[in-house]
Amino acid sequence: MSQILEQIATGIIGGDIQGVEKLVQKALDEGQEAETILQNGLIVGMAEVGKRFKAAQMFIPEVLRAAKSMHGGQELLRPLLAGDKAGRAGKIVIGTVQGDLHDIGKNLVGMLCEGAGFEVVDLGFDAPPDKFTEAIKTHQPDIVAMSALLTTTMRAMGYTLKAIEEAGLRDKVKVMVGGAPVDAEFAERIGADGYGHNAVSGAEVARNLIEAG
Amino acid sequence: MSEILQQITTAVMQGKKDEIAQIAQQAIDEGSGAEDILYKGLMPGMDYVSVEFKAGRVFVPEVMRSARAMLNVMEVIKPLMVEKGISMVGKVLLGTVKGDLHDIGKNLVGMMCEGAGFEVRNLGINVEPEKFVEAVKEFEPDIVGMSALLTTTMRSMGDTVKALEEAGVRDRVQIMIGGAPVSQAFADKIGVAYAPDAAAAADKAKELIANSR
Amino acid sequence: MRANYRVNSGVRFEVLSKDQLQEMFDGVLHVMDKIGLDVHHDRAREILAGAGARVEGKRVQIPPHVVKRSLATAPRSFTIYARDGNPAHDIHIGPGRSHFGPGPTPPNFIDIETLERRPYVRDDARIVATVCDALPNIDFCESLGTISDVHTDLAASYEFATMFPKTSKPIVAWSYGWDDSNDIHQIAVAEAGGQEAFEKRPNYVHYCEPLSPLVSTFEAVDKVIFAAEHGVPVIFTTCALAGGTAPVTPAGIIIQTTAESFMGLVLSQTIRPGLPFFMGGVLSVMDMSAMILTYGAPELSLMMAGATELAHYCGIPLWQTGGCTDSKCLDEQASLEGSLSVFFSALSGGDLCHDVGYTESGMTGSILQTVMMDEAIGYSRRICRGIEVNEETLAVDVIQDVGPDGHYLYHDHTMRHFKTEFWYPNLCDRRNFEEWDADGQKPMRDRVVERTREIAATHEPSPVRPETEKAIAEIMEAAEERVKDKS
Repeated sequence: MSQILEQIATGIIGGDIQGVEKLVQKALDEGQEAETILQNGLIVGMAEVGKRFKAAQMFIPEVLRAAKSMHGGQELLRPLLAGDKAGRAGKIVIGTVQGDLHDIGKNLVGMLCEGAGFEVVDLGFDAPPDKFTEAIKTHQPDIVAMSALLTTTMRAMGYTLKAIEEAGLRDKVKVMVGGAPVDAEFAERIGADGYGHNAVSGAEVARNLIEAG
Repeated sequence: MSEILQQITTAVMQGKKDEIAQIAQQAIDEGSGAEDILYKGLMPGMDYVSVEFKAGRVFVPEVMRSARAMLNVMEVIKPLMVEKGISMVGKVLLGTVKGDLHDIGKNLVGMMCEGAGFEVRNLGINVEPEKFVEAVKEFEPDIVGMSALLTTTMRSMGDTVKALEEAGVRDRVQIMIGGAPVSQAFADKIGVAYAPDAAAAADKAKELIANSR
Repeated sequence: MRANYRVNSGVRFEVLSKDQLQEMFDGVLHVMDKIGLDVHHDRAREILAGAGARVEGKRVQIPPHVVKRSLATAPRSFTIYARDGNPAHDIHIGPGRSHFGPGPTPPNFIDIETLERRPYVRDDARIVATVCDALPNIDFCESLGTISDVHTDLAASYEFATMFPKTSKPIVAWSYGWDDSNDIHQIAVAEAGGQEAFEKRPNYVHYCEPLSPLVSTFEAVDKVIFAAEHGVPVIFTTCALAGGTAPVTPAGIIIQTTAESFMGLVLSQTIRPGLPFFMGGVLSVMDMSAMILTYGAPELSLMMAGATELAHYCGIPLWQTGGCTDSKCLDEQASLEGSLSVFFSALSGGDLCHDVGYTESGMTGSILQTVMMDEAIGYSRRICRGIEVNEETLAVDVIQDVGPDGHYLYHDHTMRHFKTEFWYPNLCDRRNFEEWDADGQKPMRDRVVERTREIAATHEPSPVRPETEKAIAEIMEAAEERVKDKS
């Protein structure tokens, strides 16, 4: 692996947002293939970040900075990448469900999914079911992710799923859920495809859902 | 008659150490026998206190007060008991063994035993084995109680037992020991009975008497 | 003459100087005046504008003089009354007095029979109230869960209806919104003997939780308006995560959460000047590995102590946090984290310390933890009472009286003080080895479980009046009618 790709990976690990952008530009200027920069630079760095987080050698703020650096580099590469997804892992529509104003957990998942190479459409918080169905029609995502922090607003996940079904969109997307009171049992009960017990696992679940097709 | 005995019982329960002597005198004047005062007045009061103490509803200072109250009456009725040939529950000879100046635990045991109806002779602290031997010959106790607070003075207990054996009076008495460092295992080793605390000591003394008769 | 003859400073934990407190207060005023908060409630914004706030869209900025006016009308000292008139169950809020109780709304509960974690059900509210009523160091009651086996909209109403007859200690109630707040209030009013009687002797406190950073949600604000209009003492408390929804520094999170809480203060005092108000809240750190709001962090105790001092500096009481843990069961971690936070809460004099019985970072309520913490609270309270120094306690004459080689076992001086100077444990085992051995060598957790089960099975709280029983049945019937068409 060339020195510049190594520097990009290091930049990702260090969460150097501007530095990574500059290095990606420099690598392109030096004639490196976009696909090579993505696979051997950005993704290598991000994989190491995931490993270190699990080993408790890195913490959430550092992981988020890394994800943000990754995202910046990817945006530069996107126009140059071949294929219908233009180097993207997939597309996710994400939102905190109706009645719930809690934002931070959902934002974490969004940022980490972007870091994992997804294009993320954020519907914000207090998103009613029809906002989700509209977004599915407009953005045609692979995955719909819903978040709730309250036992009282968890119900709205069920309502949203029902709305997606009634709009005839259920088989067009995978649905994943998360949030403090949510557990695997609840996810299964309302008929979601996946459940993430925290933000990092949320991004992993998203990847697994794509791989499973 | 039973009313005044009940007053004595209540005075013991409440630890009225000063008023109780007067009540006892009144009982005697009204014709109560010493035996009734002891067994129907004082002892039921002490039994109650002891049960409450074990249940954690009455505390050491209160038990001591009650025992003191009982003892104050005993002083009044003892001449009458001697006159009528009425015996106490038994006789206990107590002392803290040679080399040990700790007094309070042994005093607690003494008062508890008095409260249980024993006649108690207290040899005090730092008691030489020979002094125990002499007292056994002179006082003729049913039980010899030895106390030690230090691991270093525990050995004196064994020496005292040996001295009693050598003097040929070991068979006349039952021996029990206690104190913070003393254990059942140690008591077994030197061939005597053991009580883990002052309340248990009074019970143990009663048990030893019951078994010997 | 001894000038300080009766002065007793007690034992305390002070983490901020007067200068630092003023700096932080200035920070709070700046946040409220220059940054402002989003208030998601049309009527609340109108009320606040009327009080002198600047409103633009949802953003509300409150000038310092309006905040100070509200601080001036909010009382530092007041009483929350036991519903049955038992003075031992009254809560007197005021300087140097801390009170303890459980917390609201975890989804799970540790079953006291199976000791397994399961969803919280209605009968758990009965158990929690009964046990809290009996525990000597628990002063107020909260449910430790969200009832899962009734209509979702009625979880709070059923909770209050179930707990209220089972404890005469004041309840801190939560609710979803106006309707269930009203159910709760009608129950309390029925027992008090009417609205007017309730206002004279309020017998519960209402809990409202806005959002960090700087958002007053519709429900939280709606509940404050309800409480203010009905004379219910009110708590307005955010639950902020340092490094997540609030600054990572203790000073920063205290400023932000105080500003968040002050929005409720200004609103409540504008509607009803003099309404008893508790500043919030739960200040802890976001664990940067586990991604949870930790309930066992040392920073929680430190930041809560700082917030307590700031509230008292401003002349209002604080809703404290302690007795909680990140542990999943009744173990050494639960004991360590819970006891230390209880101790520091008592040392800093937080007025109402809640979450006694939170485990698993607030996801599971455990009355077993509450029972264990009751012991820690008793222990802490003894220390916080400090050492009283006067002629009687110096006891020089008593020492003379007893002299060398005597004993104090039943001296009059001992008799006068041994019950008040010493704290007697209910759970900590001080027996000798033989007794402990003969009793099955039970560790602390077994004794906790035994005591909990025994209290739950045998304690009989003083009942509500028969009229109240009837009123509760009618109120709940009407509530069921109200929600019967909602899924």
